[in-house]
Amino acid sequence: MSKTVRLTLGHVVFIAAFIGLWEFLSARGILDPTFFGRPSGIVMYLWNGFIVERNLWTDLFYTILAATIAFWGGSLAAILVGLLFAMLPRVHRACEPYLTLFNSMPRIALAPLFLLWFGLGIGSKIALAVSLTFFIVLSSTVAGIKGVNSDHLVLSRALGAKPGQVFFKVTLPSAVPIIFSGLRLGLVYALLGVVGAELIAAEHGLGQVLAYLQSTFDMDGVMALLFLLALLGLSITIAMNYLERKLLVWQ
Amino acid sequence: MNRMTATPPAEASVSPAAPAIALNDLTMRFGAGTETPVLAVDRVSFSLAPGEFVSLVGPSGCGKTTILNLLTGLLHEEHEGDVRVLGKKPRSGNPDIAYMLARDSLLPWRTALGNAAFGMEVRGVARPERQARALELLKQVGLGDFADKYPKALSHGMRQRCALARTFALDSTVLLMDEPFGALDAQTKLTLEDVLMDLWSAHRKTVVFVTHDLAEAIALSDRVIVMSARPGRMIADVPVDLPRPRSVRKLQTDHRFHDLYAQLWGLLEQGVTNDE
Repeated sequence: MSKTVRLTLGHVVFIAAFIGLWEFLSARGILDPTFFGRPSGIVMYLWNGFIVERNLWTDLFYTILAATIAFWGGSLAAILVGLLFAMLPRVHRACEPYLTLFNSMPRIALAPLFLLWFGLGIGSKIALAVSLTFFIVLSSTVAGIKGVNSDHLVLSRALGAKPGQVFFKVTLPSAVPIIFSGLRLGLVYALLGVVGAELIAAEHGLGQVLAYLQSTFDMDGVMALLFLLALLGLSITIAMNYLERKLLVWQ
Repeated sequence: MNRMTATPPAEASVSPAAPAIALNDLTMRFGAGTETPVLAVDRVSFSLAPGEFVSLVGPSGCGKTTILNLLTGLLHEEHEGDVRVLGKKPRSGNPDIAYMLARDSLLPWRTALGNAAFGMEVRGVARPERQARALELLKQVGLGDFADKYPKALSHGMRQRCALARTFALDSTVLLMDEPFGALDAQTKLTLEDVLMDLWSAHRKTVVFVTHDLAEAIALSDRVIVMSARPGRMIADVPVDLPRPRSVRKLQTDHRFHDLYAQLWGLLEQGVTNDE
């Protein structure tokens, strides 16, 4: 048996034992299902939501849509602003204190404001998610561009590279790995922002469903939603890892 | 100054009237205009005939790298005296000059081929031509089979070979090398010195080679210029009359090589202690 097979098998056994024990303790009344839910109930909830009544698809769709829009919009804006800062260091210095101020405030506190401005639709959660993603990607873009190896710059200058050549052939490619790690984090935070806004108030979305289930004491549903969100986050990470391996072979 | 009669090396059969590089009474101060300017280079004069290989040797802070940076045009510090590269004032990006540093400074996101072609790319050589020349140079430095490898997959010695390929692929008339093998272990260094000798024999460039390794300087050069500790002054300009082509490895057991070494070592010691 190869090492990976054994490892996978180990995880399967562990998870099965964990779920079995949870189900067993719930059935015997040792673990109160009112507070912890029970595995069979969680599965039933997901079965209903996705197969029988199919109401969860809409919410899943809205959450993913909002996170995707926020991620792309926020990241693109952040990279562009980062590049602008690299070209105009004085503008960067002038903006820095305001960025720091905004970046150090707990962004979730902006949710009530965004709800008033953009309503219960998709706009308010996108705004909150962008307010997180933008700053993460911006700071990694700036760090990536600043982190360019000075030897590479000396070499380029000695070769007679023009500023545009230095930027596109040296500075930008050298910043890509750090920008990418910012994007990875930015995507996770986009999801966080969206779900956070939905928890407070929204028409659709997994966060909104979660808040509703919690208020009606449907613990199986709450657990199911948490499981779903964890799965969503995990698939993001896996996808980003895959992309990174493909794009950054040289690392 | 202990200048010995410098017979022009046999290989460089060019009229002494048109030196490739000429320094005339170069004097440099750092922090000029401040209250305590530091005299870094003091009245240094030397010239290189086209195709000549000359080493600058001296202790740290003797101004040898400063002189090299001035020649590349990277340094804009004010100086007195005249500096000429191929008859012109130095300027950065001069296509007549190729520059090589101690650290390979390979771009990690480019393959060995991409790195070897990088200099030509910056200087606007067309893609098919630069690819072909880069590959040719990689073969010459023994990296023909590693053209599509990224720097992370190469050893220190191989990376510096690649940097050599990048430098020679430029086909510039003048090569300025700042301790290019300074970061290598002793054995790799000898191998790379021989690679450099082969390339130099094949391409015949004018080389200014900065090093603090006296043995390396003697083994490679037509002339060795010995400098003192700060302020950098020329102590000696010594012709190396060892026959070419040379094998740096074989020279290690050559008695004339060791005689020259002993002679120059004495001068170097003098330059270090003079200052104290």
